[in-house]
Amino acid sequence: MKFKKKPLDSEIFTGSMADITFLLIIFFMVTMAFSSNRGIDFALPEDTTTAAEISQEESIDVLVLPGPVDGPPVIQVDGRQMPINELLPYVAEKLKQNPSKPVILRTDPGAVYGNMLAVFDELRQAPDKIGMKIDNISIPTQREIENIWTMLGIGQ
Amino acid sequence: MILFRGRSLKTEARVFTGSMADIIFLLIIFFVITYKVELDKTQVDLPDTTVRVTIPESEKPAWIAIASRREGYLIRVSTGEEMSLPIGTDEELVTFASTEVARNPEKDFIIKADKEVPYERFDAVLDALKQSKVKNIYLLSDQKTVEQ
Repeated sequence: MKFKKKPLDSEIFTGSMADITFLLIIFFMVTMAFSSNRGIDFALPEDTTTAAEISQEESIDVLVLPGPVDGPPVIQVDGRQMPINELLPYVAEKLKQNPSKPVILRTDPGAVYGNMLAVFDELRQAPDKIGMKIDNISIPTQREIENIWTMLGIGQ
Repeated sequence: MILFRGRSLKTEARVFTGSMADIIFLLIIFFVITYKVELDKTQVDLPDTTVRVTIPESEKPAWIAIASRREGYLIRVSTGEEMSLPIGTDEELVTFASTEVARNPEKDFIIKADKEVPYERFDAVLDALKQSKVKNIYLLSDQKTVEQ
């Protein structure tokens, strides 16, 4: 008897490959995180006592008052209320007299975080808007401010 | 004409799928390379700023998230390597930050806070970081557009 030799198929079945790869793509697309990774950098003082040593007369005092979250922030600069667009020209005048003059950015506890960041952002734009860099922008915490008042013997 | 007699020529309607595998593999490779696990999933409405610097992620900065009013201004922290966890008190925040600074004195901290968070909450976080001798912080923000 003569048997006919059947040739063996040497093929890898790739029919389900498309399904598997599509599943993988869908998984990666769904779980991918498009998180924001940009923001304003802020260096904290090496020693917390340094901030307390800056007296109010030697600095530019910016107080952020409660205001609208998405609107222009309400500020008081050296005790005078002014619109945000006048802040940098005022700072520029002061920096011409003393380029190392620090800016103290205080915020009213009744304000929101967005108010403070809007003013901080404005101050950080000094090199572009007034062609001068503010070397020292200090954001004291409420505890530090209270410490200064206590040191000066002034009740807030 | 004699040659084609009795036979009809049919046009085959087939979509060529030979390059599909290459395209799909390219897409998979792209997603695998760019895949990043989001350590903190707190939903916040970030404030918009003009000045924005890219946060260096090589050193795995620690995360502090302050949620919106809807979530009761809940604070969540992450070491930069694990998923974020909620914390209850400001003392816990000081302990967390101090531990991270003790491990790596150059450790950066990212603050991801909702723009409507009362300043008092942010002030407490900033105070905790100052007490823990943190050197650099990044305040996460969105890009401010011309209309804004």
